[in-house]
Amino acid sequence: MAGSMKDIKLRIRSVESTMQITKAMQLVASSKLRGARMRMEASRPYMKVARRAVWDIALHNTGAQSDYVMPREIRHRCYIVIAGDRGLAGSYNANILKRVDWDMKDALCVFIPIGKKAREYYHRHGMEVVTEIEKVEGLSFETCEEIARQVMAGYDEGRYDEIVLAYTSFVSVLTQKTKLKPLLPLDTKDAPEEEQIHRQMLCEPGADALLKTFLPQYLAGLIYAAACDAFASEQAARRVAMDSATKNAGDMIEDLSLRYNRARQSSITQEITEIVAGAEH
Amino acid sequence: MANIHLTIVTPEGRFYDDDAEKIIVRTTTGDVCILPNHIDYAAAIGSGEARVTTANGEMRKAFAEGGLLHVSNNEVQLIGNRFEWRE
Repeated sequence: MAGSMKDIKLRIRSVESTMQITKAMQLVASSKLRGARMRMEASRPYMKVARRAVWDIALHNTGAQSDYVMPREIRHRCYIVIAGDRGLAGSYNANILKRVDWDMKDALCVFIPIGKKAREYYHRHGMEVVTEIEKVEGLSFETCEEIARQVMAGYDEGRYDEIVLAYTSFVSVLTQKTKLKPLLPLDTKDAPEEEQIHRQMLCEPGADALLKTFLPQYLAGLIYAAACDAFASEQAARRVAMDSATKNAGDMIEDLSLRYNRARQSSITQEITEIVAGAEH
Repeated sequence: MANIHLTIVTPEGRFYDDDAEKIIVRTTTGDVCILPNHIDYAAAIGSGEARVTTANGEMRKAFAEGGLLHVSNNEVQLIGNRFEWRE
């Protein structure tokens, strides 16, 4: 009996220390989530305004459609995948990586992973990685610009027929949604209604040249906004996961203490019985 | 005097969203001044000073770099990569 009591006590102690860790992680995720949400909100007006402007130029008075709007036959696809920097965030990392795996189909795919988990995953599976970014947290606009310029060059040269951005979008603290957003050719879902298109517009220096200079910046903006979104999702997912882990640990401790008390009581009872039996003799 | 609506945004946030009298921005092809009722227009922003005359006549200076200047329907959008008020 004494042995099992000691075992139970050891287990309670180990669960307690795990609980401390999960609780600390939950608190860290909550505070990071606040900052991440603020950054996410800040990038939204930019996206809205920039999207309209890009489409205005892309559809502007040219009879033929721009190369950036026309879909191509897809043989080579480039994925920019934003996953987490760390694990222990529930199914956050697995969800987005799986979503991309299902989407690949028979195209030849190359990857630009952003975040440590995505990087490890594509290296481990022997996928072709073009560029890699180590951290999602604090990803700068300049870095996004570099990626955007690189994929756009690839698209211009015909190395990629489609560029897709995969990230997790923050809906609420409890729900995050994986998203695949086509970057190039431009996502026609974003196109304005026919009557809202301004076909008479003065472009300096010319619509095509303008699109060439502005598109990388727009794409960089999209990547930046997606990274902010994904980082907020990661923190939210971690917060929820750690919250339930803390609760589970609490339940376990309760269960173990009950068993410990029972074991203690039965050992006392036994001792008393032994003493009484000894006295009777 | 007529005004024109001006929105200034960068990926880091919104810097201005109000009526203005006049906007001067350095584009890649030179300084451009936008007044109310300007025709629809788009230009790439270079790197340099931007001057905004607000609806009450006050002039504010700023530094703008990269991005796009976009005018449509008497609304100006300055979509910058970097933007900073100088004051």
